[in-house]
Amino acid sequence: MKLSGVRYLVGQGIENISKNSMMAFASFCVLLVSLLLVGISVLAYENISSMVGGVEAKNEIIVYMNDGTSEETLGKVEESIKQTPNVISVRFYSKEEEYLALKERMAEYDALFDALGDDNPLVDSFRVKIADITQMNKTISQIQQIDNIMKINAPYEFVSFLTQLRTILTWVMGALIGAMVIVSMVIISNTTRTSVYARREEIQIMKYVGATDTFIRVPFFIEGMITGFFAGCGALVITWLVYDAVVRIVENQVTLLNIIGIGSIIKFDDIYLPAALAYVFGGALIGALGSAFSTRKYINV
Amino acid sequence: MVELKDVSVTYSSGVDALEHVSLKINDGDFAFVVGASGAGKSTLIKLLLKEIDATSGTVTVNGYQLGTLQKKKIPELRRTIGIVFQDFRLISSMTVYENIAFVLRVIDSPRKLIRKRVPYVMSLVGLQEKANAYPRELSGGELQRVAIARALVNDPKLIIADEPTGNIDPELSYEIVELLRTINMQGTTVLMVTHEHELVKRFGGRIINITDGQVVFDEIMEGTDYEA
Repeated sequence: MKLSGVRYLVGQGIENISKNSMMAFASFCVLLVSLLLVGISVLAYENISSMVGGVEAKNEIIVYMNDGTSEETLGKVEESIKQTPNVISVRFYSKEEEYLALKERMAEYDALFDALGDDNPLVDSFRVKIADITQMNKTISQIQQIDNIMKINAPYEFVSFLTQLRTILTWVMGALIGAMVIVSMVIISNTTRTSVYARREEIQIMKYVGATDTFIRVPFFIEGMITGFFAGCGALVITWLVYDAVVRIVENQVTLLNIIGIGSIIKFDDIYLPAALAYVFGGALIGALGSAFSTRKYINV
Repeated sequence: MVELKDVSVTYSSGVDALEHVSLKINDGDFAFVVGASGAGKSTLIKLLLKEIDATSGTVTVNGYQLGTLQKKKIPELRRTIGIVFQDFRLISSMTVYENIAFVLRVIDSPRKLIRKRVPYVMSLVGLQEKANAYPRELSGGELQRVAIARALVNDPKLIIADEPTGNIDPELSYEIVELLRTINMQGTTVLMVTHEHELVKRFGGRIINITDGQVVFDEIMEGTDYEA
């Protein structure tokens, strides 16, 4: 095809939008909302994953031993913990070692430690690193079977919440993306149908004078693509503004950040390019495909 | 050249629109196809444009065997045919110039050719002064002349005029037929479908009468009041 032909077809695509401005605007809005919902879901999912990752990095549980457990038993317990599936490493902390470390950390409470005299209220412990955080509960219950264990400290409630949230989000996001893509394509397809109807005379004449199928379809394809492109741009700007605002709010929540780790929050600047590409190309692609399906269906060329 | 050999068309409803039709229209011929409503004239046009296929028999148009013609080749066939409709079918949002140029644009003709060819055909049909007028500003005769210019602009081998005088005054009808005759004299084959027997009698020439899907008359007759 000649350059003048390409220019003509692009011009026709743009003209289609102005001729069916209301329907084009409706398509734009629906696509914008769909892209926003999908985009925000993806961002939420990525952040939850990042948080789970952050907790996983601190995947440590502390196993406290009964007071007075002999050294021989401690050795056996250490060996048993090491044998437990999902355990990466085990490190022993004697109660003396812990007591000294505590005294150092709380130097200003010397009087308190003096009052205790030679009594050490602490117990021996093991710090256990685990591989898969989603299997934490199982690992803990296996370790609990070992004798002489007083208690186990683990952030399993928070981990369990995050992993459940991630699973739910994966499903919700999948369903949402599927539904939004279908809804967007149906709306775009209807806009194209209106466009085809508005230009039925031209299409019929085109057919009679020997225009190819491609030549007839391309302007509608371009119309959908342009609508999708602008919806993508709009969704990108809205996401940027909303996401940045939410990140600023979260960053002020010190307690929350202590739990999830400051590095767990993804900054928009770090994902700007992939987000822009996904929105713009995603929008254009959904728009173009919606039109393509519709023209195939409604233009019997 | 148009050739039908023992062509029959039966629609899915069971109606026999054409039955064992055989006819040949040579390059450069001018022929009237006459017949009452429902006689099969429209079916014949649809067949020649490959909008429908013959149930049996063979159809050849401008060297294309329509029975075996692939779908993707249909645009190629249609570029060799110019069509004029009874209801003009001009695009109301386009000027006269744009309506005519539209045909060349959709077949991806070079801009240079469009700029040269469109004014030429407008002058052939006597509409050079109306280049920037919109269809709503034209009379019935002028509208049909634009439609003829549009059919003519890509220099087709064959022009099919489907009741081109059906929507205009009798006096203007003669003008339109005369214009088609002039185009024919320059070498383009013209097939004019009409139910206006008076018009046909007046001009004369080759007359093909289709009745109940069959060619019942195919002869050259002298006109009563027309000299080419």
